[in-house]
Order: sequence, then C-alpha cells, then structure tokens
Amino acid sequence: MTPIRAVSPRGVVTFGRAVAIPVGRASVVVVIVTVALIVVAAVATLSLGRLGIPLADLPGAVFGGAEGKEAFVLERLRGPRLAVAVGTGAALGLSGALFQTVTRNPLGSPDVIGLSAGAGAGAAVVALFLPGVLPVPVGALVGAVGAMALLYVSTGTGFRNPGRLIVAGIGVTAVSTAFTQYVVYAVERDRATALTAYLNGSLAARSWEHAATIWAVLLVVAPLVVLVAGRLVIGEMGDEVAAALGAEPARTRAVSVVLSVVLSAGAVSVAGPVAFIALTAPQIARRLTGGPGPHLVSAALVGALLLVLADLAAQQSPVPGNLPVGIYTLAVGGLYLGYLLTREWRKGSL
Amino acid sequence: MVTGTGTPPREAGAKRPGPTRRPSFPLIGLIGLVAVVVLGLAVFASVAFGSRPTSISEVLAVLNGTADPGVATVVESRYPRTALGVFAGLCLAVAGTLMQGVTRNPLADPGLLGITSGAAAGIVTATAFLGASGQWAGVWWALAGALLAGLLVHVIGAAGSGAGLVRLVLAGAVVSAVLTAYVQAVTLGKPRVFDSYRYWVVGALGGRDFDVLGAVLPPAVLGLLVAVLLSPALNTLALGDESASALGANPALTRTGGLVAAVLLSTAATAAVGPIAFVGLAVPHIVRALVGVDFRLRIVFSAVVGPALLLLADVVGRLVLRPQELMVGVVTAFVGAPALLLAVRRMKGAS
Repeated sequence: MTPIRAVSPRGVVTFGRAVAIPVGRASVVVVIVTVALIVVAAVATLSLGRLGIPLADLPGAVFGGAEGKEAFVLERLRGPRLAVAVGTGAALGLSGALFQTVTRNPLGSPDVIGLSAGAGAGAAVVALFLPGVLPVPVGALVGAVGAMALLYVSTGTGFRNPGRLIVAGIGVTAVSTAFTQYVVYAVERDRATALTAYLNGSLAARSWEHAATIWAVLLVVAPLVVLVAGRLVIGEMGDEVAAALGAEPARTRAVSVVLSVVLSAGAVSVAGPVAFIALTAPQIARRLTGGPGPHLVSAALVGALLLVLADLAAQQSPVPGNLPVGIYTLAVGGLYLGYLLTREWRKGSL
Repeated sequence: MVTGTGTPPREAGAKRPGPTRRPSFPLIGLIGLVAVVVLGLAVFASVAFGSRPTSISEVLAVLNGTADPGVATVVESRYPRTALGVFAGLCLAVAGTLMQGVTRNPLADPGLLGITSGAAAGIVTATAFLGASGQWAGVWWALAGALLAGLLVHVIGAAGSGAGLVRLVLAGAVVSAVLTAYVQAVTLGKPRVFDSYRYWVVGALGGRDFDVLGAVLPPAVLGLLVAVLLSPALNTLALGDESASALGANPALTRTGGLVAAVLLSTAATAAVGPIAFVGLAVPHIVRALVGVDFRLRIVFSAVVGPALLLLADVVGRLVLRPQELMVGVVTAFVGAPALLLAVRRMKGAS
C-alpha cells in the first residue's frame, strides 16, 4: 500500500476543491518530449513526398496564407487528415487509459473486447440495408455503443472481471464479425472493398468536418475526465480505501467506462476502428512515466503520436494502393502486444 | 490467473465437475441410438432441403435411382455439402472435446487459436503470389498456414506450465492480429484475391466439391486416430497431473499429443469450409451433460452430435432466407453467441 506516498510528494495541481491532478516530474518531461515528437511528425506529414510543402515554405504556408498547390495540400488533403489523426489518436489513448485503469485489466480496451467488431457490424448494417440513407460512420457509432451495452449486460457485474470480460467480448465479437463477413460476402465487390477498407480504420480523404467532430468530442469529454481523474488516482488504492476516502468507487468506475466508450465511439465515427492504439498507448505511457496513476495526459499524447506516425507510414510507404492506416497499427500493435505478453510471462505475472 | 496445473480452472458455463455419476449402460445405449437417429435425419434433411424445393417423394426416388435426371442433379448437388458438413462437424466437435480434456479450456475455437487467420493467410498467399487458381485450389495452403499458426499459438501460449485460458486466447489474438494485417494488406490491392478470400471467410458448406474433402482428409484422419488412442490417457489426466504421473501416465506427452490432434482436426475443418464458430465450443458441453466425464465416450459422442448440429444449422440457413441462403458460419454464430453470453452471466470466480 504505497500509493499515498506516490501521489503527494510529486505535487498536485488543484482547481478549487473538485479537481486535483497529480503532476510528477517524469510526466512533465514525457509530456514535453511527446509534444515535441508530435510536432516533428506533423511537420514530416506535411512536407514529405511528392505533394509535400517544402520545409522552407511551411511556416509561411501555415501562419501566413497558402496559395495554389500548397493551399490545396494544406487545406484539403493533409491538413484535415493530420488534425483527424491527432484528435483520434488522443481520444483512443485517453479512452484506453480510462478503461484500463478502472477495470485494472491491462488488456481491457474497448476495441479489444468488441467495440470495433460492433462498429463493423453497425457499418455493415448501414451498407447492406440503408445504403445512401444513413452515413456509414453513424452506423458504426450505433454499432459500437450497442456492442458495449450488450457486453455490459452480459457480464452481469459490469466490466470488472477480466475473465468474464474476455469471454463475453469473444461472444460479442463473434456474432458481429459473422454478420459483417456475411455482408462483405453478399454485396458486390466494389462496395465490399470500400466497406473492408473502412473497417480497417482509415484516415484517407478526411475533411475538416471529421476533424471538428473528433475535436468536439475531445473538448466535451476531457473536462469530465479531469473531474474524475482525482478519484481515479484514489481508486488505484483499492475499493475499500477509496470508499473510505469518499471517492465512490462504483460511480467513478461507471462514469469512467462511459467516458471511455464515448471517446472510442467518437474515434470510430471519424476514422473507423483503428486497431491497438487504445490498448498500447496507455501501456507505453505507463512505462515511460513510471509509477502508479492513470497517466491520462501522457496516454492521450502517446496515442496521438502513435497514430500520426502510423499515418505518416501509411502515406509514405512504397506499397502500391495506399493501405489504410489501420493495417499498420494492427501489424505493429500485434507485434508489440506479443512482446508485452512474453515479457510478462517471463516475469511470471500473467 | 489460470495456470492449468495446481487447481484446475473452471469451465465457462459449466458447473464444477461434481460427483461423477456415470449414466448406466442401457441409458448410454439409448442416448447413442437417439443421437445416431438425429444424425440420420439431419443427413436426410441436408439432402432433401435446399433453395430449390424438392418433395420427400422426389428425394426418395433419387435415392432409389428412379427419379428424372433434372431432379436427380439438384439432389445430387447436395451430396458434397452434406459430406463436408458431417466432416467439419465431426472435426470441430472432437477437437473441442480434446481441448477440454487437455487444457480444460472451454474456448477451443479455431478463430481464437489463430487457426482461422493462419488458413486465411495461406489462401491469400497461394492465390496472390503462387498462382493458385480455381476457387478452392488454396486448400492445401490453407491447411499449411493454419497448422503453422495453430502450433505457433500453442507454443507461445502454453510455454512452461499448462496453458491458461487467458494466455492462450491472448497468444491467439497476437498471432491473428499480425496475420490479419497481412491478409488485409494483400487483399485490398488485389480484387481477385479479395473475392476468393471473402467467399471463404464467411464459412459455408456450399460451392465445394469432393476434391476439397480429399485434400483435408489425411490430417483429419490422423487427428482422429490420435484422439481415439489418447482418450484413456485423457481420463487419467483428468485426475490431475500428480495422480496421472503416479499411475504411470505421462501428462506432458498426453497434453502435447492432444493439442496437436486438436489443431490437426480444426485445421482440416477450417481449411475446407472456412471459419465456423461455436461448434467446437458447444458440442463438448452438450456431450458431457449427456454421457458424463469418460473421454472415450465423449469423443465418440462428439463425433455424432457435432455433425448433426452443423448439418441442422446448415439446413436452417438454407431455409430462412429462401431462395437465398445464410451461410452456416453465420447461423452458428447467431445461435452460439447468445448462448455463450448467457453462460458468462453464470460464470463465477475471477478468471
């Protein structure tokens, strides 16, 4: 039982009585470095490649007015795409950090336990029954929330028990996937290809509306996350301690799960189900920052960095046909998860 | 966390293995008779019902060889899918029962153990890079890919002590993720490959001929043989590793043999008909409720109940959307998933 000491000497930033955010020196360094890396990756995203804006012209184009080709690239192609990538990555990282903290399950992230599959089934329903009536992302949003609701009901005790969570997630995923694959089988090839590309999670051809959507979700949810952050830190000490300190563990948990699902669903609606960012970003943030605590800010920043980097790879890779970014995160995230697992097993902690 | 040795992990949805009252011999015989009759009816239904309606008398005439050629062609076109249904149901059910015996893991599903994504990667590689043509020419490669992936998952997940449920599932998730990324990357750029992949991955019995069955028969027969030979040893293993060793059995060998046989069987089924969920999950539970804990009986009964269930699911899939059809993989998922979710609600304990 060490958490008290881990929190207090590192300093706490308070706003009134409701908000207390613990800030450690390590997290400040991590935040600064991550932000710097995001800026570097963003500059690379805007300037690399055939259509890139040359580095020398970039400050002028961004802060002054861009003209001609540069305006097109900045305002129509890569600018909105970059804004969506940063926002979606941050939302996914924050969502994963919230979920993993309250479930105390390093592998619980909404996308692993059925949210992505549910989003896919929702998108497939729209593609099959309501083509042109409803936008596919709306279907994905409904599917994602529906899958989480089904999971919540079928686990009985909420999201707490990792065994139940994984098994119920398997059930929800199985039925959603079977349906999605049926639709991919039943519609003609072009629509099947488009649907599959969307289901991988893609940032191609995003507009400023997409960016506005995800940033609006972030701006609404982030203050609420700040409100529960203090209680989450106390919650790490265990339910009894938390209850004794007035942190209402059950309510905190429920609120956090809802916020996490909203963030993930928002990300799904603008970018499709991008795999593994929500799972890995909090893990990386935790390892970088060290110590207990949910590391919400670092997780969000790491998520943004990961997605911007993955999208940079997706845009600049020599593979023909411009694969969706979700394929890159799936491959790299899968390898990282494998590394993580073998390490835990060698330590004997899993 | 489940570790396999020491306290045996609990099975999802199942009650703790209570006092093992084995049903009496006449009762077992009766259950067996009923199961065989149900399988016979399922086979007949699979031959008799389809998107083109055929009457019972017409079907009987075809079986007697006295029907007109048009009807005979329709009915005979249902023979391969019926045979494949029996084959796949048998393989998946026996594999599931083996997995329960070896790891006490109720989640012996090809999709979770990397087998589906391995087979998909095999098919995609064959059609995209090795010039395999024809819809089902990739079956050999599916077999190889699934076998490799399945064994890899077990090596990662079961390294050291016995395979824990969560570990095995996670190892399956890792292998599946990487292979799926590969499959998606290849299929998105190549429409022809995408077509053969999406027709396979939905999990269907239709559209295959007897050649497919011939290709996957050898590994299945090998797996089944190992399963039958191992069944007495599995009974001993159920007593716990220490008692089994004391009785002269070799738990490690039994476990390895059982896993290899299970991978062989589910690989054969998946390569032939695509991923079919929940048969390997549900049948072992049904069979144990019917005949008790003796693995010799459980394997034999799985081999009867599995095909019957799969064929019935296929017939249902043919009838609900007539004249279109719902693939059997979709039917089993829609029936199986709610059952699993109900089982989760009754699950006790931490993991």
